[in-house]
Order: sequence, then C-alpha cells, then structure tokens
Amino acid sequence: MTSIYTLDPRDSAVASTAALALRPASLDGKTLGLLSNNKPHSEDLLRMVASIIGERYSLAGTVEYNKGGHQWPADSSALEDLASRCDVMIHATAE
Amino acid sequence: MQIEQWEFKDWEAALEHYFREGLTDGLPVVPPTPERVQAMLDYCGLATDDILGTEGIRHKQFPAGKVAVSAVMAGCLPEHFPVVAAAVSAVCDRSYNFHASSTSTNGIANLVLVSGPYASRIGMNHGVNAFGNGNRANAVIGRAINLLKANFYGSVSQEMDKSTLGHSGKYSFCFAEDLETSPWPSLAEAKGFRPGSSVVTMVAANAPLQLETHGDRDPEGFLTAAAHTMLGFGPRISEVVLVISQELMAYIAASGWSRAQVAEFLHEKTLRTAGEWDDWRRMDRLPPDADRDELMGCVSGPDRITVVPAGGDAGEFMALITSWGSSRSVTREITVPT
Repeated sequence: MTSIYTLDPRDSAVASTAALALRPASLDGKTLGLLSNNKPHSEDLLRMVASIIGERYSLAGTVEYNKGGHQWPADSSALEDLASRCDVMIHATAE
Repeated sequence: MQIEQWEFKDWEAALEHYFREGLTDGLPVVPPTPERVQAMLDYCGLATDDILGTEGIRHKQFPAGKVAVSAVMAGCLPEHFPVVAAAVSAVCDRSYNFHASSTSTNGIANLVLVSGPYASRIGMNHGVNAFGNGNRANAVIGRAINLLKANFYGSVSQEMDKSTLGHSGKYSFCFAEDLETSPWPSLAEAKGFRPGSSVVTMVAANAPLQLETHGDRDPEGFLTAAAHTMLGFGPRISEVVLVISQELMAYIAASGWSRAQVAEFLHEKTLRTAGEWDDWRRMDRLPPDADRDELMGCVSGPDRITVVPAGGDAGEFMALITSWGSSRSVTREITVPT
C-alpha cells in the first residue's frame, strides 16, 4: 500500500520566551503602578485593589496610567516610563 | 523553511488526524498534500518562504507556504490563491487590528469582499444568495482565511478566540461586488485603484443584518429605512458596509444617485445629539459636564460607509454589516497571474 503525505498547517516557528520579573520579597517601600485599559470602572477597580494592598504594606506611592483603550497595546514609551517609575505593576480590566 | 510532513496509510486516516488535532473548523478539510500546496504556490509564482504579510500587533509573519496549506485545506483551487494572498496582506495592516479582532468577545468574522473582473474569472458569486452557500470560490476563499487564523495564527475557537456568540460567517464570509448590473464604477475604482483592477477588501465583520423594504421605489425612502436601522448600532462605530440588491439598485440608478451620495445620505440621517444616544443607552453614559447637544453619527463620516451592489434579481433587500471596535477595513489589489 502506498502512503500519503500531508503538511502541518500550524506555525512551526519557535516563540520567543521571556522570564518573569523577579518578585519583591515585600511591597513595603515599593511604588505600585496601576495600568488601566480604559474600560468602564477599570480605574475604580485598580484603586480598590491598591487600597487593599495599601492596608497591608507601606507603599511608597502609586502611579496611575490609562492606556486609552482596550483594543490596542499600550505605547512602548509609556511602558518604559512606567517601568522606570514603578517597582510592581497591576493591569486590570472591568466593565 | 521545510513544512513538517505527516505520513498516513490512507485518506481517511489523514482526515481523522486533522479532526483529532483540532485543525478543522468542524467540517472535513481537503488533505494538504505537498503537491497540492506546491500547485497553489506555483500559480502565483511564490516560494514557500515568501512573506505575504506581517501582522501589526504580534508581528507574526505569514509565509506563503503556510497560507497555501490552509487554502488547500479549505478546498481552494490554485486560481483562488491570489485572492487569499491579497486578503492576508490586507489583514496584516495594523489598522485592521487582526490580533484583537481575532480574540475579542465580539465574535467577528473576516469578511472577504472582492471587486473587479478577477471575481468573475474564478466564478465568484455576486448574485442570488450572495452571502449564502453553493458557490465554491466564495466558500473556500473565506474559509481559507478562517482556517489560517485558527491553525497558523493561533486564534482557536474557545481558546484564543473568545467570541461570546460568534456567527456563521466564521466558517466563511466572502462575496463579490455585482459589476454586471451596477450603474456605478467598481468599488476598486471608488477606493482609488485603476479601472479594471481587482481588489479585495477585508472587514472585521459582525453578522449581516437584512432589511426588507418592498414597495418603496424612492431611494430616500428605503435608504431612510436603512439609516434608521443603523441607529440601533450606536454612535461612532468604526465602519458600516451596506449591501444593496438588484431591484433597489435599479431604483437608485433611475434616480441617478452615486455611491458617494448614498453614503452621505445615510450619514446625515444618522446624526443625532449625544443626549439622544445617551438616552437610548446606545453609548457609555455621558459624564455630567458633557455637551449633550453635540451631533454624532453612527459613523464619524460618510467615508466610513462602504456601499456595495450584490444580491439576487428578485426582492427588495439590503444588508448592513458593521465592523469590529476601532478596526478599519483594508483594501489590497489582487496580483493576477498573467
């Protein structure tokens, strides 16, 4: 019997990988970034989470950024700016 | 690039492998043999590694070989591949936002709208049952894009594709402009391409909404019905496609309306104040300091309304198709092999 051969439709390219950032042992003294996707109430949700974290840790402060819409990635320049100003970031969506 | 090859004892084993691996849309596929894939590439003078486009968000490249594999699986013949290749180039334009539209809960399909003589050369349907079944070219070209989206791009249903409801166009959504009975220059020309060129316009499309307007021969009458239907979509959506069937197009032709006039009329008729849209709950609630008297249309301007003659010769029907989020339709010329 003769075999038949067919091709794989999937992407065979090896995806690039990135290691997770090192986690701080404590949030005491850290600056917390809050990245909103501009959906209704997303900033409210982020502030609520920041408030709960603030009850448990002595945060140095918070930095809020709204990326302007949920359909597009944040500008790379904005992400670089946040990375330079914050120790940890929270990104959230809401409706 | 060498595409990975699988060996099977017979066709049934091959077919079941594609089902088992989740590589179909739920329907059987044509097994993509190296010979069939090569014939697809040869028809367009492409090599396996030629890049047809680089998607604008994840920057994923679409090599012609992998696109041809999906096209064969969908049932395409080599002469369908120039349309598929142009469609892939179109969705890679960043403004289309292929990534977000392929993952969103909105559940859009990738509409493949073909304008120009190449559509009739490959037997595409623009007439009776234009959106429906029964035409190979329409069925397989649209299906090829959706198989590529799932199998190569990774937007697999219920995984990266998080459509809340989806629609049947996600199997295939493809039709041609009616250039036989239309009184207008082609959509390709309307979009600035040279006369006689063939183009594909890609739309991140919600399901078509059909309107019936029997008995009204005045374009102002039946287009008012279309505009009032558009009000239900809400203000400032990205784009709208209005498909008009032959009987209504004959009334438009008799009245001498141009394609641009139709779009301008529709836009004007949907202008409402922000306060009205707010009262209808068709937008996010206005903040207290907002200008409630600001006029807003269903789209931002008539250039966001694409009017296309298509459909059968009996029945006074139109269809409205809205686009996803902020996605823009993108048009690319089809490279026709000589």
